[in-house]
Parts: sequence; structure tokens; C-alpha cells
Amino acid sequence: MTAIHTLHILNKSPEHPRASRCLATVSPEDALLLTGNGVLLLSTQKKPVTHKVFVLSPDVDARGLGGMTGNAEAVGFAEMVSLSLQAQRVISW
Amino acid sequence: MSTLIMIDQPPYGAWTGREALDMAFSLAAFDQPATLLFAGAGVNWLRPSQEAGGVGQKSVEKNLSAAPIFGIEAILADRAACITYGLNESSLLKGVTLVDADAALLKDFDHTAFAG
Amino acid sequence: MADTASGTFTLVITGAPYASQAPQTALGFARAVVDAGHRIDRVFLYGDGVHLASVLCAPPSDETDWPEEWSRFLSEHSIPGVACIASALRRGLVNQAEQKRYELPAANLRAPFEIAGLGEWVEGRMKSTRTLYFHAGD
Repeated sequence: MTAIHTLHILNKSPEHPRASRCLATVSPEDALLLTGNGVLLLSTQKKPVTHKVFVLSPDVDARGLGGMTGNAEAVGFAEMVSLSLQAQRVISW
Repeated sequence: MSTLIMIDQPPYGAWTGREALDMAFSLAAFDQPATLLFAGAGVNWLRPSQEAGGVGQKSVEKNLSAAPIFGIEAILADRAACITYGLNESSLLKGVTLVDADAALLKDFDHTAFAG
Repeated sequence: MADTASGTFTLVITGAPYASQAPQTALGFARAVVDAGHRIDRVFLYGDGVHLASVLCAPPSDETDWPEEWSRFLSEHSIPGVACIASALRRGLVNQAEQKRYELPAANLRAPFEIAGLGEWVEGRMKSTRTLYFHAGD
């Protein structure tokens, strides 16, 4: 299990000003979990700085993005819980 | 446990900024280290001479000036956002420190939170 | 750091039901916390999140009743739920004590939610391994 310095949880769409702020703050040793409107990032060309990108499945499915997860790992709430404990700290954007 | 309370929404149009200030002041009241960071449109909270009576609200200028007395460790403002909104060191409220609100800054805090 | 470490959670909800996904995402997370054998120290409603504690919501029968789902979850697992007093009073969420104090025509706080100050949030954070916030998405 690779170490996660910070788990960033982003539920804002790419258009929201806080989304860019969040993405600018993510470091390679962090993980990014997209929930709610945040999963829309998958349908843009934006590439987060970290390779550890996770997306919450129910939100992906709700928005019809099942086929577009790309390199992001689709997870459920169980994994969201373990990610939050695995990371040294969590920032809910 | 040091906490950074971030405010990125401007004053008067929404209440999250006030709610963030309440969070910071509560932490200070419990002797928990708290720092305020104004970023994005949130830097507009730091513009002096806000006369909010006409919109039925109170200006937070007094609260912010009193922040150090209440135990808030620092009031930070993102440099780039200040430039965007035409605020420079001399036009900001007193006691505000300009910073680059980046990953390095956030790493200094155990806990970063927004009010909404 | 092993991810099998156990933890205690404080959950803060600032998004209202029927205006955001915050209560839904938070409940999914909360259920998973309990299923994994961890503990939720408390759930704190702040800002617009206080609307989750209303006893007066009457959503259509084919929609999830979020206040009901949450109150049932909290009761089942004996998890304290607190609505921040400053947020609640402003938005018209009151218990009987506050109804009396302010001479209001009704009380509408849903059990098992209590009303208390931000000190509950400060304390929850200090006692918990992790504190997560569920904000509105817009």
C-alpha cells in the first residue's frame, strides 16, 4: 500500500473556482478522490498531478460516466473510508 | 493540532465566510491553534471601509482586527488573489500577511477546513 | 501506514438535503464507517446542513427522506447528532427549549438531533482520528 500524504476530496465540478484551487494544491504523493460533481473532471482533458486518482462509483454512474474513468480507480464508500484512514490527513474541498 | 480555515467566497453575498470566522474563533476559544486564509474572491473580506448597514449586515472589520486578541494565530491572504481584486499590502486591513496559498502552505497545517 | 488501522470519525455536514448531495454522500460514508467496524464520534450539522434535522420535511413518496434516513441511522447506532445553534436558530430549526426561549410558534428539531454550539465540533475534532466535511457541490 503506497503512502498517501493527503487525501483531497473534491465534490465541485471543474467549473467551480474551488476545483482549480484544489487541483493546484494536490502533490504527487497525495491522493485525489472525486465525489459528487467532482467526477465530471473525468470528462475533461485536465490531468491531476498525482497518479492516485479515485472516483466514487455511484456518482460516476449517476452522471453516465462509467465508460470514461480512464486511469482513475472507481471505488465505493468502503474504499473511501479506508482511503481516509490510509492518508495522513484529509482535506474536504 | 493546527488548523487552517480557508475562506474563498466574498462577503455579504453568502454566509460561509461568517461561518468560517465563527469556526476559527471557536478554535481559538478552546486554545486550539487556528489561522485564517483568505483566497480567491474571499480576499474581498479584507477590503477596508466596508459599510454593510445598507444591506442589513454587519461588517467583519472589527472581528478581524480583534482576531489576534482572541487568539487567532495569523490572518493570511493569497497574493495572486489580492492582485486579481486590486488589493495590495497598503490597501488591505492591518494585520494581514500576504502568502502564496499553495501546497507548501497547506502542508504546514494538520487540518484544513472550509465552512461550506 | 496500514489501512487496517481503526479510527474514530467526526462528520460535518454543511449542505442541505434536497439542495445538495451532502447528506447522501455523508450517509453512504457513515454506513461504510460502521460496517468496517469503526466508530463515529458525532455528526455535526453546520450552515445549511442544519436543515437535515427538520421534523417537517415531507418529500414525495418516491424520493429518499433524508432527515428520516439520518435520524434512523443515528438512533440505530447511538451516534450523537448535533445541529449548530447559531446556524439552526438563523435558519428556523429549533427544539422546544429554544422555542420557549424565543417565544416561537413551534419547535421542529427531529430526534435524536440536539442543538449545541461550535464547541461540539471543536471537541469532535480533538477526539476523532479523522474529521470529514460534506459540503454542497456548488
